[in-house]
Amino acid sequence: MQTATSIQTGPVSMAETKPKGRFNSDLTQVWIGVALIAITGFGPVIAGNSYWIHTFQLVNIYIAAAIFQNMLFVDAGQKSFGQGAILGLAAYVAAILYGLHGWSFGGASMGGIVAAILGGLLFALPALRVQGFHLGFVTMSAAIVFPQLLVTLDKWTNGINGISVTVPALTNPVVFGMSPLAIAVAVFPMIALASHYLIRRSKLGRSMFVAALSPEAARSLGIKPGVMRFTAFVIASIGTGICGILYLPTVAFVSPQGFNIELSFVFFFAVVVGGRGQMLGPIIGIWIVYILPNILLAGFVEYRLLMYGCLTLLAVMAFPDGIVGSVERLRAKRKQTGGGEQAFRIDGFLADLQAGKTVREPSEEIAVEVRNGTKKFGEVVAVSAVDLKVRKGEVHGLIGANGSGKTSLLNVLSGLSRLNTGSFMINGVDATNMAADRIANMSLGRTFQAPRIFSQLSLWDNLKIGMDARVGPASADVTALAKAMEESFGQDSANLLSHGQRRLVEVMRTVLKEATIVLFDEPAAGLSQSERTNFANLVKFLSRQMGKTVILVEHDLDLVWGIADTITVLEQGRVVSSGKPDVVAKDPAVQHMFVGSRHA
Amino acid sequence: MLSEILIIVIRGIAIGSIFATIAMSFNIVHGATNIFNFAQGNMFILGGFAAYFLANQVGLGQWSLMLLLTGLGIAAVVAFQGYITLLPLRSSVEQDSWLISTVSVSVIVAALLMITQGPFAYSVQSVVPSFRILGTRTPGAYALAIAAMIFWFFALRFFLRKTFIGLAISALSQDFDAARAAGLPVRRLQLISFAISGLMVGTVGFLVAPVISVSPDAGLKYVLNGFVAAVVGGIGSNAGTLIGGPLVGVVAMLTAYKVGGAYQDLASLLVLVLILMFRPQGLFGRVGARRV
Repeated sequence: MQTATSIQTGPVSMAETKPKGRFNSDLTQVWIGVALIAITGFGPVIAGNSYWIHTFQLVNIYIAAAIFQNMLFVDAGQKSFGQGAILGLAAYVAAILYGLHGWSFGGASMGGIVAAILGGLLFALPALRVQGFHLGFVTMSAAIVFPQLLVTLDKWTNGINGISVTVPALTNPVVFGMSPLAIAVAVFPMIALASHYLIRRSKLGRSMFVAALSPEAARSLGIKPGVMRFTAFVIASIGTGICGILYLPTVAFVSPQGFNIELSFVFFFAVVVGGRGQMLGPIIGIWIVYILPNILLAGFVEYRLLMYGCLTLLAVMAFPDGIVGSVERLRAKRKQTGGGEQAFRIDGFLADLQAGKTVREPSEEIAVEVRNGTKKFGEVVAVSAVDLKVRKGEVHGLIGANGSGKTSLLNVLSGLSRLNTGSFMINGVDATNMAADRIANMSLGRTFQAPRIFSQLSLWDNLKIGMDARVGPASADVTALAKAMEESFGQDSANLLSHGQRRLVEVMRTVLKEATIVLFDEPAAGLSQSERTNFANLVKFLSRQMGKTVILVEHDLDLVWGIADTITVLEQGRVVSSGKPDVVAKDPAVQHMFVGSRHA
Repeated sequence: MLSEILIIVIRGIAIGSIFATIAMSFNIVHGATNIFNFAQGNMFILGGFAAYFLANQVGLGQWSLMLLLTGLGIAAVVAFQGYITLLPLRSSVEQDSWLISTVSVSVIVAALLMITQGPFAYSVQSVVPSFRILGTRTPGAYALAIAAMIFWFFALRFFLRKTFIGLAISALSQDFDAARAAGLPVRRLQLISFAISGLMVGTVGFLVAPVISVSPDAGLKYVLNGFVAAVVGGIGSNAGTLIGGPLVGVVAMLTAYKVGGAYQDLASLLVLVLILMFRPQGLFGRVGARRV
């Protein structure tokens, strides 16, 4: 067996000579999108047809709203069917303030956007507690109730008659026959598209995405899923609110019928038909869902809803990825890189990290201490009066049969569940009642039994989530490591990684996070024998070279005895034995565990 | 005053029984498939349209026959909808496509009704005579609504506990993977649960047609109130819907009486949000264990 200090150096990057294809085509799509928006935004003006000018202004506004729907729906995972109501809210509040109360258009617009944000927060509130179809029903009811309220509250809204407004300052031509409004309506969807792209490329975007796909992984990386949802709703509301403000002078009239649920469906359906999550999706989607029925087939206007429905159903059945998504999938399949045994090797990186480092031994300081900890699920006692001390820098193995409370204990330590009685300290700080994200920010990292790898993100972005989770600035080592990994894996897909490689990706996340305490939940499950050997070396490296404290829940006793400094044996939630491996191995209380093992 | 309150309560319970039956129809599909059929409200309204076209002003005999036919017809429609909803889920990693397909089916049904029948509310003659409660005439269909809720509650209870297919569907809702591993014909059971939900909402829509607004846009109102009833009772709990449905119905009636009919949907929305905020598992649901 190799020792930690002699990790083999392997080829780091793939032996490809040709450059890798892009992992995704987001940036290309943004440029195509900007060009398409320019056509619908400036084209009709150049053609000089006032009917087309008006129609395509509305199209552009809806494109912008659909872009924000796309971000909310896919990047933040919030299934809102009520974005039409948000748009209507901004338009109506602005119309009331400007048209009925004589506010300036600027002031009224601010009022409208504030109203849209408040509306979005109302959606976000239930989203803190529930997700998925619950949120779908809530937002859909809101979209149904909104026009009803506009009719009923006629004292303020003029009811069914609506409000007419004109904003001459905005609609008079200034340059090239274009009014300020026409320019704004042409440019805003481009801004929306660019914002979506930039948010997706940012730490915020990645955090939203992780929070949407795996809340527990997010929390263990220090992300608060609730805050992410709120942020997503606020961003979408501001964007959709601006669409509402632009709608007002464009249509010059608001009425309850203009903002019924049909409008919300248009945005939602456009995203689905165009391609969920694709930058270009909402644009193509609005072209198909809105332009096709309303302009090309204008004579059949009563069939509009039917067409929305049929197009969307057809898209879900035939092209689940949407139009753009299907094209992108073909492209990505051809260009996909990052498969095979060489796809994710970390030995080389570690060798670089290791250069010139001395071997560190575990200190006598205590990193994690559990005092009399008990965790119950209803009547079931998962962890029972457990006392546990983990020294700084040691590898501490937690073993025991299935259901003995190992993972429950790990979940308690990472803050994903709370002790019923007892307490635990991390680096001397009482963490018993801390939320998972706070514990994560105390430099604790963990992996999960099923690795949380996100196939929509590139391999490097999957790793970068660990960088995002850092509390302080990165050390020189980690900065260099990150740079090297970005070069190697920036355009690779995480899709083709084997199970063992996925596990390594999660481990590397905690390295990039520079977590000083790392919890591994059954890391060797599903690994081949050689992968296990590599993993054992990695754990030793983390402990001896990087000085990390490792808590390891594992069924592979050979692996645990090979690398652990201390072993704690759990049985039905209780600690039955704890100490150095050779001492524990001789403990009569645990002899029955070793049937068939070399320690018997 | 007191009798007014009583009338509100009685009518609220009756309207609420409709919501409760829709909620139970949600539960059986959700248990077997984890799908919430957004189109269920429009399937319910289809039952109402069937009553208008097939059984308006007819004798009890023909009416009963048409009730049966409507139930079976809508069961077939919903089973077909279930089939196409489940199709993409077989292969795709994306497991939320049902959300989109059921919403689009809902829109398609409403649009078809709108195109063929216009945006009008159709009135259906009741075959059951009205009766007097506390000196007020109460339409017979209200009694039918309550009876249908009770019937479907016990019918489902019997079906899920005493019949082989029902037990298999219960097994699906308790542990999907184990049920599949045990060799149950999962897809067929799921389609049966869709069909049963169609049978439920189809017959109830038919029965209560005289007291509801049979119009193309009414479906959304019922799907939402049915959902609120399911959430209040705790999703998956049919016994919970017996309380949840009438509760939502009484709140809607009280709102109509005290504030105005236009605020009924708002009141249901508020009930939904409050329950989700403070008791997301519903009044009678249990908290599911979190898996990490």
